[in-house]
Amino acid sequence: MRRSLSILVIFIAIFVVLPGILAVVGGGYWFRVTTTIGVFAILTMSANLVSGTTGLMTLGHAGFYGIGAYTAALLATGLHWPFYLTLPVAGAVTACFGILLALPTMRLIGIYFAVATLGLGEIIHLTLLNWVGFTRGPMGISAIPGIALDGLFAASDMGNYYAVAITAALTAFVLGRLAHSYYGNALRAVREDDQCAASMGLNVVRLKIQSFAFACFFAGVAGALWAHTTGYISPGDFRFSESILILAMIVVGGLGSLPGAIVGAVILLGLPEVLRPIGDYRMIVVGAVMFLSILFLPRGLLGETSVLSLMRRQFGLAWDNAKQLGWRQ
Amino acid sequence: MTKQCRTLLATMCLAIFSCGAYAQNKTVAIGYQAPLSGEHAQYGVLFRNSATLAIENFNKSGKLPGVTIQLKFEDSKSDAKEGVNIAKKFSDDQSIVAAIGDFSSGVSMAAAPVYAQNKLAQLSQTASHPDFVKISEYQFRNITTQAYEGPLIANWANANGAKKIAIVAIQNDWGQSVVKYFADAVKANGGEVTETEMFNPGTRDFRSILTKIARSNPDAIYLGSFYEDGSAFLQQKVQMGIKQQVYATSSLYEQKLLDLAGPAANNVYLSTTFLVESPEPHVQAFVKEYEGRYGSKPQMFAAQAFDATNIVLNSIVAAGGANATRAKVRDALAATKDFPGVTGITSFDPKTREPSKILTKLQIQNGKYVLLK
Repeated sequence: MRRSLSILVIFIAIFVVLPGILAVVGGGYWFRVTTTIGVFAILTMSANLVSGTTGLMTLGHAGFYGIGAYTAALLATGLHWPFYLTLPVAGAVTACFGILLALPTMRLIGIYFAVATLGLGEIIHLTLLNWVGFTRGPMGISAIPGIALDGLFAASDMGNYYAVAITAALTAFVLGRLAHSYYGNALRAVREDDQCAASMGLNVVRLKIQSFAFACFFAGVAGALWAHTTGYISPGDFRFSESILILAMIVVGGLGSLPGAIVGAVILLGLPEVLRPIGDYRMIVVGAVMFLSILFLPRGLLGETSVLSLMRRQFGLAWDNAKQLGWRQ
Repeated sequence: MTKQCRTLLATMCLAIFSCGAYAQNKTVAIGYQAPLSGEHAQYGVLFRNSATLAIENFNKSGKLPGVTIQLKFEDSKSDAKEGVNIAKKFSDDQSIVAAIGDFSSGVSMAAAPVYAQNKLAQLSQTASHPDFVKISEYQFRNITTQAYEGPLIANWANANGAKKIAIVAIQNDWGQSVVKYFADAVKANGGEVTETEMFNPGTRDFRSILTKIARSNPDAIYLGSFYEDGSAFLQQKVQMGIKQQVYATSSLYEQKLLDLAGPAANNVYLSTTFLVESPEPHVQAFVKEYEGRYGSKPQMFAAQAFDATNIVLNSIVAAGGANATRAKVRDALAATKDFPGVTGITSFDPKTREPSKILTKLQIQNGKYVLLK
């Protein structure tokens, strides 16, 4: 009962109240800001699975985001595929790349894994930049068709919003189920002590690869959404600084916490826009907010532990009363 | 009613009245998006300086009585995400009749579909990507592209007897066009491109590239870069004892190149649209005013922004001043012909919206840019 109520409230907020408010007061600008936040929420939620839940700090997420964006852009402009095909295909292609590129790094932990993924992100960025014959290099890809279906609806702010909102909701659902389950507990065990987890019979390498593949899949989908909603992409959109931005969002929101990842995206993308009136000082304020939030809330605005109990209470995730299954408080 | 209440009421009435009086003076706004923070912040600051100067001069000049032009400047951080947001913001703001910016082609082109969709003219002072003005009929630029500059330098080098030329350019959209148009022109003249080398942005060590191009034994080298990489390239070329003549793109017309490269920059040939030392009175007036106000001489980028702002102001006047609409301003922009800017006389091609300008030939001699006749 409580679970369906919570889900209903979230659905109404995302699909009725928020677009309603935006349509009445916001105009195109706030629609665009919300759409960007939605794309980054998908990115942070997916990066959170690897960096937060599994404890493998990734510094190359923007690279995988880029692979997804370029896959979708090339398919949509070259082969004229519609967005409902490019989105899942971009995700699948990115996941394949993710597995392929992650295999050699799976024995690494901590800072070593972070530096390895930093290298991966740079390799991807430089490939997009220098493989001119295939990606058009620094010229980027323009005239990517928007989110539209012939005869049903044309590309519009509202269409973009709903496409991103629906995808983000699906992402939250899938990643929520993954993270708040026995499977999620196994990932957390790998994070806390991988040798101990292995001695308990968990296949650590397989778990790491799986979580990385899931994360890359959703990063690819986010890239495809960015390509379709913006219409022009270039390698500059997938630089190292974007990976850092994604990481900062997760840490501010709370490492390992799914709602925290969304909150991080909202704050680090929403705040600079809200602060536009103060001009030159706005990035200083954003920096100060980040600094203070880490100083006073080192576990993030919505820390993992509190969120886990909240998710269990509100959504009954990983707790089956009838069978007395799950983990107790 | 207490005394305080009455005072408050009187103040409010006064405020409303003064607002009414103010409203008779109509405000027309220009949106300007450029990086004020992030890695290209230095350029955005120049643009804001120039645009502020141009608009204040215009408002003082009284060319449009009863109309105040307002500049709405937004920081894009040279980030496509923010660039698109700003384009949406400007499009929503009905007081804005035209937009200027962004700095890089990447951000300008990400913002362009938004401007096209909202039928708001966008004039970039620097976006030189060949496809930028092809996005829609709402995109304009007042910078000459390599399609114009490349053949000019190629003909110049060929006339000086250089038939075999090596090309070195930065790996970005602009560098790609540097290579393409220059190489095409050299081949059309019956010359030969001995080697083409692209370097990634941020490269500071050019020794391997220099070794490679020296081995191909060209008569001259064409360098497409900005002053940071250009100065390192020129210094290392001298250190390695490579004697070939260097021809460079107009982007190397920058005082900082002379400061950083020192004597290594001597003898380089290049072209420019803007010349600080130009004897023309309107250029001198701009240089003097800019220096007096901001403490440094304006360079090419500041001059580009000054012209871009003035071209838009001109179009607002042509579109009827107080009655200017977005559609009328766009048409007026497209009709820009022989505009006397500080970067030369500018015209927009009515069909392609590409600008045409006169390029001046320069050579660096004894640490100074010297005009060639």
